[in-house]
Amino acid sequence: MNKGYSFTRRIILVVALVMLSLTGWSQLVHAQAASIDPQAEKILRRMTDYLGSLKQFSLRTQVTLEDLLDSGHRIDYDISANVIISRPNQLRAERRGDVIEQTFYYDGKSLTLHSGSEKVYATEPAPGTIEELLDYARESLGLIIPASDLVYRNAFQLLMQDVNFATIVGKAVISGVKCDHLLFSRPGVDFQVWVAEGGRPLPYKYVVTDRVTPARISVSTVMSNWNVAPAMANAGFKFVAPKGTKPITFLRQDKSSGSSR
Amino acid sequence: MNTMLKIAIVATSLIVMLIADIPFLPVQMVPDADAIFGVRRRAFATGVVVGASVGAARAASAEQSQQTAAAQQQAAAAQQQAAAAQQQAAAAQQQAALARPPAGPPAAAGTPLPLGSVVAALPGGCTSTPVGGVEYYYCGGNFYRAVFQGNTLVYVTAKP
Repeated sequence: MNKGYSFTRRIILVVALVMLSLTGWSQLVHAQAASIDPQAEKILRRMTDYLGSLKQFSLRTQVTLEDLLDSGHRIDYDISANVIISRPNQLRAERRGDVIEQTFYYDGKSLTLHSGSEKVYATEPAPGTIEELLDYARESLGLIIPASDLVYRNAFQLLMQDVNFATIVGKAVISGVKCDHLLFSRPGVDFQVWVAEGGRPLPYKYVVTDRVTPARISVSTVMSNWNVAPAMANAGFKFVAPKGTKPITFLRQDKSSGSSR
Repeated sequence: MNTMLKIAIVATSLIVMLIADIPFLPVQMVPDADAIFGVRRRAFATGVVVGASVGAARAASAEQSQQTAAAQQQAAAAQQQAAAAQQQAAAAQQQAALARPPAGPPAAAGTPLPLGSVVAALPGGCTSTPVGGVEYYYCGGNFYRAVFQGNTLVYVTAKP
Protein backbone atom coordinates (compact mmCIF):
# COMPACT_ATOMS: atom_id res chain seq x y z
CA MET A 1 0.00 0.00 0.00
CA ASN A 2 2.71 2.40 1.03
CA LYS A 3 4.85 1.29 -1.87
CA GLY A 4 1.95 1.80 -4.29
CA TYR A 5 1.33 5.29 -2.97
CA SER A 6 4.94 6.29 -3.43
CA PHE A 7 4.88 4.96 -7.00
CA THR A 8 1.72 6.94 -7.72
CA ARG A 9 3.36 10.05 -6.36
CA ARG A 10 6.38 9.48 -8.52
CA ILE A 11 4.24 9.12 -11.65
CA ILE A 12 2.29 12.24 -10.85
CA LEU A 13 5.54 14.10 -10.31
CA VAL A 14 6.94 12.91 -13.63
CA VAL A 15 3.77 13.83 -15.48
CA ALA A 16 3.71 17.25 -13.84
CA LEU A 17 7.34 17.86 -14.74
CA VAL A 18 6.81 16.80 -18.33
CA MET A 19 3.78 19.04 -18.65
CA LEU A 20 5.58 21.95 -17.09
CA SER A 21 8.62 21.62 -19.28
CA LEU A 22 6.53 21.22 -22.41
CA THR A 23 4.42 24.29 -21.77
CA GLY A 24 7.45 26.27 -20.72
CA TRP A 25 9.32 25.21 -23.83
CA SER A 26 6.46 26.07 -26.15
CA GLN A 27 6.18 29.56 -24.68
CA LEU A 28 9.90 30.13 -24.83
CA VAL A 29 10.27 29.07 -28.46
CA HIS A 30 7.22 31.05 -29.44
CA ALA A 31 8.60 34.17 -27.82
CA GLN A 32 11.96 33.82 -29.53
CA ALA A 33 10.61 33.17 -33.02
CA ALA A 34 9.72 36.86 -33.36
CA SER A 35 12.76 38.46 -31.77
CA ILE A 36 11.87 42.06 -32.44
CA ASP A 37 12.35 44.33 -29.48
CA PRO A 38 9.30 46.61 -29.55
CA GLN A 39 11.34 49.32 -27.84
CA ALA A 40 13.87 49.35 -30.71
CA GLU A 41 11.01 49.54 -33.16
CA LYS A 42 9.49 52.39 -31.20
CA ILE A 43 12.69 54.45 -31.25
CA LEU A 44 13.06 53.88 -35.00
CA ARG A 45 9.48 54.99 -35.53
CA ARG A 46 10.01 58.09 -33.40
CA MET A 47 12.99 58.99 -35.57
CA THR A 48 11.31 58.37 -38.93
CA ASP A 49 8.13 60.16 -37.81
CA TYR A 50 10.14 63.16 -36.67
CA LEU A 51 12.26 63.29 -39.82
CA GLY A 52 9.14 62.79 -41.94
CA SER A 53 7.44 65.69 -40.18
CA LEU A 54 10.23 68.13 -41.01
CA LYS A 55 9.42 70.38 -43.93
CA GLN A 56 12.95 71.59 -44.37
CA PHE A 57 16.24 70.44 -42.98
CA SER A 58 19.91 70.42 -43.72
CA LEU A 59 22.72 68.24 -42.48
CA ARG A 60 26.26 67.19 -43.12
CA THR A 61 26.92 63.58 -44.09
CA GLN A 62 30.10 61.57 -44.11
CA VAL A 63 29.62 58.38 -46.09
CA THR A 64 32.17 55.58 -45.88
CA LEU A 65 32.02 52.89 -48.53
CA GLU A 66 33.95 49.81 -47.60
CA ASP A 67 35.59 47.84 -50.33
CA LEU A 68 37.60 44.68 -50.55
CA LEU A 69 40.42 44.83 -53.06
CA ASP A 70 41.24 41.80 -55.15
CA SER A 71 44.44 41.64 -53.13
CA GLY A 72 42.32 40.96 -50.07
CA HIS A 73 42.89 44.34 -48.45
CA ARG A 74 39.99 46.16 -46.94
CA ILE A 75 39.80 49.85 -47.82
CA ASP A 76 37.34 52.70 -47.30
CA TYR A 77 36.17 55.39 -49.66
CA ASP A 78 34.89 58.53 -47.98
CA ILE A 79 32.46 61.05 -49.35
CA SER A 80 31.39 64.12 -47.43
CA ALA A 81 28.35 66.06 -48.44
CA ASN A 82 26.14 68.89 -47.29
CA VAL A 83 22.52 68.09 -47.95
CA ILE A 84 19.57 70.45 -47.83
CA ILE A 85 16.03 69.25 -48.36
CA SER A 86 12.76 71.08 -48.70
CA ARG A 87 9.78 68.79 -48.94
CA PRO A 88 8.08 67.81 -51.09
CA ASN A 89 10.28 68.41 -54.12
CA GLN A 90 13.55 70.22 -53.57
CA LEU A 91 16.96 68.85 -52.70
CA ARG A 92 20.56 69.85 -53.04
CA ALA A 93 23.60 67.81 -52.11
CA GLU A 94 27.12 69.19 -52.30
CA ARG A 95 30.09 66.90 -52.26
CA ARG A 96 33.31 68.56 -51.30
CA GLY A 97 36.58 66.76 -51.15
CA ASP A 98 40.20 67.09 -52.09
CA VAL A 99 39.66 65.71 -55.55
CA ILE A 100 35.98 66.03 -56.20
CA GLU A 101 33.63 68.95 -56.11
CA GLN A 102 30.15 67.95 -57.13
CA THR A 103 26.67 69.30 -56.60
CA PHE A 104 23.38 67.55 -57.13
CA TYR A 105 20.36 69.77 -57.76
CA TYR A 106 16.70 68.87 -57.77
CA ASP A 107 14.01 71.52 -58.09
CA GLY A 108 10.90 69.39 -58.60
CA LYS A 109 11.16 69.48 -62.39
CA SER A 110 14.66 68.46 -63.31
CA LEU A 111 17.76 67.07 -61.71
CA THR A 112 21.33 68.10 -62.42
CA LEU A 113 24.68 66.69 -61.45
CA HIS A 114 27.33 69.35 -61.74
CA SER A 115 31.01 68.63 -61.38
CA GLY A 116 32.74 71.89 -60.65
CA SER A 117 36.19 70.35 -60.74
CA GLU A 118 35.63 68.78 -64.13
CA LYS A 119 33.49 71.64 -65.47
CA VAL A 120 30.69 69.42 -66.75
CA TYR A 121 27.04 68.94 -65.85
CA ALA A 122 24.20 66.62 -66.82
CA THR A 123 20.54 67.58 -66.57
CA GLU A 124 17.52 65.31 -66.88
CA PRO A 125 13.79 65.72 -66.39
CA ALA A 126 12.93 64.46 -62.91
CA PRO A 127 9.87 63.04 -61.17
CA GLY A 128 7.70 65.26 -58.99
CA THR A 129 8.58 64.23 -55.45
CA ILE A 130 11.73 63.60 -53.45
CA GLU A 131 10.68 59.98 -52.89
CA GLU A 132 10.31 59.31 -56.62
CA LEU A 133 13.48 61.25 -57.32
CA LEU A 134 15.50 59.11 -54.91
CA ASP A 135 14.18 55.94 -56.55
CA TYR A 136 14.93 57.27 -60.01
CA ALA A 137 18.37 58.61 -59.18
CA ARG A 138 19.42 55.35 -57.59
CA GLU A 139 17.84 52.87 -59.96
CA SER A 140 18.19 54.57 -63.34
CA LEU A 141 21.20 56.80 -62.89
CA GLY A 142 23.16 54.94 -60.21
CA LEU A 143 23.60 58.07 -58.10
CA ILE A 144 24.26 57.88 -54.39
CA ILE A 145 22.36 60.36 -52.29
CA PRO A 146 23.56 60.12 -48.70
CA ALA A 147 21.19 58.69 -46.07
CA SER A 148 18.35 58.68 -48.58
CA ASP A 149 16.82 55.59 -46.91
CA LEU A 150 15.91 57.72 -43.93
CA VAL A 151 14.52 60.62 -45.95
CA TYR A 152 11.57 58.77 -47.46
CA ARG A 153 8.25 59.80 -45.96
CA ASN A 154 7.37 56.13 -45.47
CA ALA A 155 10.89 55.34 -44.24
CA PHE A 156 9.59 53.31 -41.30
CA GLN A 157 7.69 50.87 -43.51
CA LEU A 158 10.63 50.62 -45.91
CA LEU A 159 13.13 50.01 -43.15
CA MET A 160 11.02 47.56 -41.16
CA GLN A 161 10.03 45.53 -44.21
CA ASP A 162 10.98 41.89 -43.65
CA VAL A 163 12.84 42.73 -40.45
CA ASN A 164 13.02 39.62 -38.30
CA PHE A 165 15.37 40.81 -35.60
CA ALA A 166 15.58 44.10 -33.79
CA THR A 167 17.35 45.07 -30.62
CA ILE A 168 18.75 48.01 -28.69
CA VAL A 169 22.49 47.52 -28.56
CA GLY A 170 23.07 50.28 -26.05
CA LYS A 171 23.98 53.96 -25.87
CA ALA A 172 26.68 55.79 -27.77
CA VAL A 173 27.77 59.35 -28.34
CA ILE A 174 27.93 60.25 -32.03
CA SER A 175 29.07 63.72 -33.13
CA GLY A 176 28.76 64.79 -29.50
CA VAL A 177 25.14 63.66 -29.19
CA LYS A 178 23.97 60.86 -26.92
CA CYS A 179 22.16 58.28 -29.00
CA ASP A 180 20.35 54.97 -28.74
CA HIS A 181 22.15 52.38 -30.82
CA LEU A 182 19.70 50.09 -32.63
CA LEU A 183 20.31 46.96 -34.66
CA PHE A 184 17.87 45.54 -37.19
CA SER A 185 18.20 42.53 -39.41
CA ARG A 186 16.38 41.17 -42.39
CA PRO A 187 17.30 38.47 -44.88
CA GLY A 188 20.62 39.47 -46.43
CA VAL A 189 20.96 42.86 -44.76
CA ASP A 190 21.69 44.22 -41.31
CA PHE A 191 21.36 47.86 -40.48
CA GLN A 192 22.22 49.90 -37.43
CA VAL A 193 20.82 53.30 -36.59
CA TRP A 194 21.94 55.70 -33.89
CA VAL A 195 19.03 57.93 -32.84
CA ALA A 196 19.45 60.96 -30.59
CA GLU A 197 17.79 60.81 -27.20
CA GLY A 198 15.39 63.50 -26.15
CA GLY A 199 13.07 65.85 -27.94
CA ARG A 200 14.73 65.78 -31.35
CA PRO A 201 15.11 62.10 -32.29
CA LEU A 202 17.37 62.66 -35.28
CA PRO A 203 19.57 59.95 -36.77
CA TYR A 204 23.29 60.53 -36.27
CA LYS A 205 24.68 57.38 -37.79
CA TYR A 206 23.39 54.73 -40.15
CA VAL A 207 25.28 51.59 -41.14
CA VAL A 208 24.04 49.08 -43.69
CA THR A 209 25.85 45.75 -43.89
CA ASP A 210 25.42 43.36 -46.77
CA ARG A 211 25.31 39.85 -45.36
CA VAL A 212 24.96 38.09 -48.70
CA THR A 213 28.62 38.24 -49.66
CA PRO A 214 31.26 36.81 -47.33
CA ALA A 215 33.10 40.15 -47.40
CA ARG A 216 30.29 41.74 -45.33
CA ILE A 217 30.68 45.11 -46.96
CA SER A 218 29.18 48.04 -45.09
CA VAL A 219 28.08 51.51 -46.03
CA SER A 220 28.32 53.90 -43.08
CA THR A 221 26.84 57.35 -42.92
CA VAL A 222 27.61 59.69 -40.06
CA MET A 223 25.24 62.62 -39.90
CA SER A 224 26.01 65.89 -38.16
CA ASN A 225 25.22 69.60 -38.22
CA TRP A 226 21.50 68.94 -38.28
CA ASN A 227 19.50 72.09 -38.88
CA VAL A 228 15.73 71.67 -38.79
CA ALA A 229 15.12 75.30 -39.76
CA PRO A 230 17.69 76.11 -42.42
CA ALA A 231 17.77 79.44 -44.26
CA MET A 232 15.91 78.89 -47.50
CA ALA A 233 16.35 82.31 -49.08
CA ASN A 234 19.41 81.39 -51.12
CA ALA A 235 19.10 77.63 -50.94
CA GLY A 236 19.60 77.36 -54.72
CA PHE A 237 17.79 74.22 -55.74
CA LYS A 238 17.80 75.35 -59.34
CA PHE A 239 20.94 74.81 -61.36
CA VAL A 240 22.35 77.60 -63.46
CA ALA A 241 25.25 76.49 -65.60
CA PRO A 242 28.37 78.55 -64.92
CA LYS A 243 30.21 79.91 -67.92
CA GLY A 244 32.53 77.42 -69.58
CA THR A 245 30.72 74.38 -68.19
CA LYS A 246 29.87 71.74 -70.75
CA PRO A 247 26.68 69.68 -70.86
CA ILE A 248 27.06 65.91 -70.84
CA THR A 249 24.61 63.07 -70.17
CA PHE A 250 24.11 60.26 -67.71
CA LEU A 251 25.06 56.72 -68.56
CA ARG A 252 21.86 54.96 -67.63
CA GLN A 253 22.04 51.91 -65.43
CA ASP A 254 19.22 50.07 -67.15
CA LYS A 255 21.02 50.08 -70.49
CA SER A 256 24.52 48.84 -70.98
CA SER A 257 25.49 51.38 -73.58
CA GLY A 258 24.82 55.00 -74.36
CA SER A 259 22.44 57.36 -72.64
CA SER A 260 18.78 58.13 -73.12
CA ARG A 261 19.54 61.01 -75.40
CA MET B 1 -1.77 -2.74 -9.61
CA ASN B 2 -5.11 -1.62 -10.85
CA THR B 3 -4.43 1.91 -9.61
CA MET B 4 -0.99 1.96 -11.19
CA LEU B 5 -2.45 0.87 -14.53
CA LYS B 6 -5.07 3.59 -14.34
CA ILE B 7 -2.49 6.21 -13.53
CA ALA B 8 -0.21 4.98 -16.28
CA ILE B 9 -3.04 5.16 -18.83
CA VAL B 10 -4.01 8.65 -17.72
CA ALA B 11 -0.41 9.82 -17.77
CA THR B 12 0.25 8.37 -21.23
CA SER B 13 -2.89 9.88 -22.68
CA LEU B 14 -2.02 13.24 -21.16
CA ILE B 15 1.42 13.17 -22.71
CA VAL B 16 0.01 12.09 -26.07
CA MET B 17 -2.50 14.95 -25.95
CA LEU B 18 0.23 17.43 -25.16
CA ILE B 19 2.42 16.17 -27.96
CA ALA B 20 -0.44 16.56 -30.40
CA ASP B 21 -0.88 20.15 -29.23
CA ILE B 22 2.68 21.21 -29.89
CA PRO B 23 3.45 21.60 -33.58
CA PHE B 24 7.22 21.74 -33.34
CA LEU B 25 7.61 18.59 -31.28
CA PRO B 26 7.61 15.97 -34.08
CA VAL B 27 10.90 14.15 -34.07
CA GLN B 28 12.41 15.74 -37.18
CA MET B 29 11.86 19.25 -35.77
CA VAL B 30 13.63 18.68 -32.48
CA PRO B 31 17.13 19.38 -33.83
CA ASP B 32 15.90 22.74 -35.19
CA ALA B 33 14.46 23.75 -31.88
CA ASP B 34 17.67 22.67 -30.21
CA ALA B 35 19.64 24.80 -32.62
CA ILE B 36 17.60 27.86 -31.70
CA PHE B 37 18.15 27.18 -28.05
CA GLY B 38 21.88 26.80 -28.56
CA VAL B 39 22.21 30.00 -30.55
CA ARG B 40 20.14 31.96 -28.07
CA ARG B 41 22.12 30.74 -25.14
CA ARG B 42 25.37 31.64 -26.84
CA ALA B 43 24.05 35.04 -27.91
CA PHE B 44 22.94 35.90 -24.42
CA ALA B 45 26.08 34.51 -22.84
CA THR B 46 28.28 36.78 -24.95
CA GLY B 47 26.22 39.78 -23.93
CA VAL B 48 25.44 42.66 -26.22
CA VAL B 49 28.07 41.96 -28.79
CA VAL B 50 26.73 42.94 -32.15
CA GLY B 51 28.52 40.12 -33.91
CA ALA B 52 26.88 37.56 -31.69
CA SER B 53 23.47 39.10 -32.07
CA VAL B 54 23.97 39.20 -35.79
CA GLY B 55 24.87 35.53 -35.74
CA ALA B 56 21.78 34.85 -33.71
CA ALA B 57 19.68 36.87 -36.10
CA ARG B 58 21.01 35.01 -39.05
CA ALA B 59 20.50 31.62 -37.47
CA ALA B 60 17.06 32.63 -36.25
CA SER B 61 16.03 33.87 -39.64
CA ALA B 62 17.31 30.69 -41.26
CA GLU B 63 15.38 28.57 -38.81
CA GLN B 64 12.32 30.67 -39.29
CA SER B 65 12.32 30.34 -43.02
CA GLN B 66 12.73 26.62 -42.64
CA GLN B 67 9.96 26.29 -40.19
CA THR B 68 7.24 28.66 -41.21
CA ALA B 69 5.62 29.41 -44.50
CA ALA B 70 5.24 33.00 -43.40
CA ALA B 71 8.98 33.42 -43.26
CA GLN B 72 9.29 31.98 -46.74
CA GLN B 73 6.76 34.48 -47.95
CA GLN B 74 8.75 37.21 -46.30
CA ALA B 75 11.89 36.12 -48.03
CA ALA B 76 10.09 36.05 -51.36
CA ALA B 77 8.74 39.51 -50.76
CA ALA B 78 12.19 40.68 -49.82
CA GLN B 79 13.61 39.45 -53.08
CA GLN B 80 10.75 40.89 -55.04
CA GLN B 81 10.83 44.33 -53.56
CA ALA B 82 14.45 45.29 -53.62
CA ALA B 83 14.86 46.86 -50.25
CA ALA B 84 16.19 50.36 -50.12
CA ALA B 85 19.08 49.47 -47.90
CA GLN B 86 20.10 46.54 -49.99
CA GLN B 87 20.07 48.69 -53.05
CA GLN B 88 22.16 51.29 -51.40
CA ALA B 89 24.70 48.70 -50.44
CA ALA B 90 24.75 47.44 -54.00
CA ALA B 91 25.06 50.93 -55.38
CA ALA B 92 27.86 51.61 -53.00
CA GLN B 93 29.73 48.55 -54.12
CA GLN B 94 29.26 49.61 -57.67
CA GLN B 95 30.46 53.07 -56.80
CA ALA B 96 33.45 51.68 -54.98
CA ALA B 97 34.24 49.51 -57.97
CA LEU B 98 34.12 52.59 -60.15
CA ALA B 99 36.39 54.52 -57.87
CA ARG B 100 39.06 51.93 -58.42
CA PRO B 101 41.04 52.47 -61.61
CA PRO B 102 39.33 49.99 -63.90
CA ALA B 103 41.26 47.71 -66.17
CA GLY B 104 39.98 49.53 -69.21
CA PRO B 105 40.23 48.07 -72.65
CA PRO B 106 43.61 48.66 -74.24
CA ALA B 107 43.29 51.87 -76.16
CA ALA B 108 46.22 51.32 -78.41
CA ALA B 109 46.43 53.52 -81.43
CA GLY B 110 44.30 52.43 -84.32
CA THR B 111 42.23 49.81 -82.49
CA PRO B 112 38.59 50.83 -82.62
CA LEU B 113 36.59 49.86 -79.55
CA PRO B 114 32.97 48.73 -79.75
CA LEU B 115 30.52 51.60 -79.38
CA GLY B 116 29.51 52.12 -75.79
CA SER B 117 32.81 51.02 -74.27
CA VAL B 118 33.47 52.84 -71.02
CA VAL B 119 36.90 54.06 -70.00
CA ALA B 120 37.84 55.88 -66.80
CA ALA B 121 40.16 58.31 -68.56
CA LEU B 122 40.83 59.42 -72.09
CA PRO B 123 43.92 58.05 -73.76
CA GLY B 124 46.59 60.61 -74.48
CA GLY B 125 46.61 62.95 -77.44
CA CYS B 126 42.88 63.45 -77.94
CA THR B 127 41.49 66.27 -80.02
CA SER B 128 38.10 67.64 -79.02
CA THR B 129 35.37 68.57 -81.44
CA PRO B 130 31.92 69.90 -80.59
CA VAL B 131 29.16 68.20 -82.55
CA GLY B 132 25.64 69.49 -81.98
CA GLY B 133 26.48 70.95 -78.59
CA VAL B 134 28.22 67.80 -77.41
CA GLU B 135 31.97 67.61 -77.05
CA TYR B 136 33.56 64.61 -78.72
CA TYR B 137 37.13 63.54 -78.21
CA TYR B 138 38.97 61.75 -80.96
CA CYS B 139 41.99 59.61 -80.25
CA GLY B 140 43.32 56.17 -81.03
CA GLY B 141 40.77 55.64 -83.76
CA ASN B 142 37.81 56.23 -81.41
CA PHE B 143 35.40 59.02 -80.67
CA TYR B 144 34.66 59.47 -76.96
CA ARG B 145 31.98 61.41 -75.14
CA ALA B 146 32.01 62.35 -71.45
CA VAL B 147 29.18 60.89 -69.32
CA PHE B 148 28.32 60.48 -65.65
CA GLN B 149 28.28 56.85 -64.65
CA GLY B 150 26.66 57.24 -61.27
CA ASN B 151 28.61 60.03 -59.62
CA THR B 152 31.74 59.35 -61.64
CA LEU B 153 32.84 61.08 -64.82
CA VAL B 154 33.80 58.48 -67.43
CA TYR B 155 34.20 58.42 -71.18
CA VAL B 156 32.22 56.26 -73.52
CA THR B 157 32.96 55.49 -77.14
CA ALA B 158 30.35 57.05 -79.40
CA LYS B 159 29.51 57.98 -82.94
CA PRO B 160 29.25 61.75 -83.48
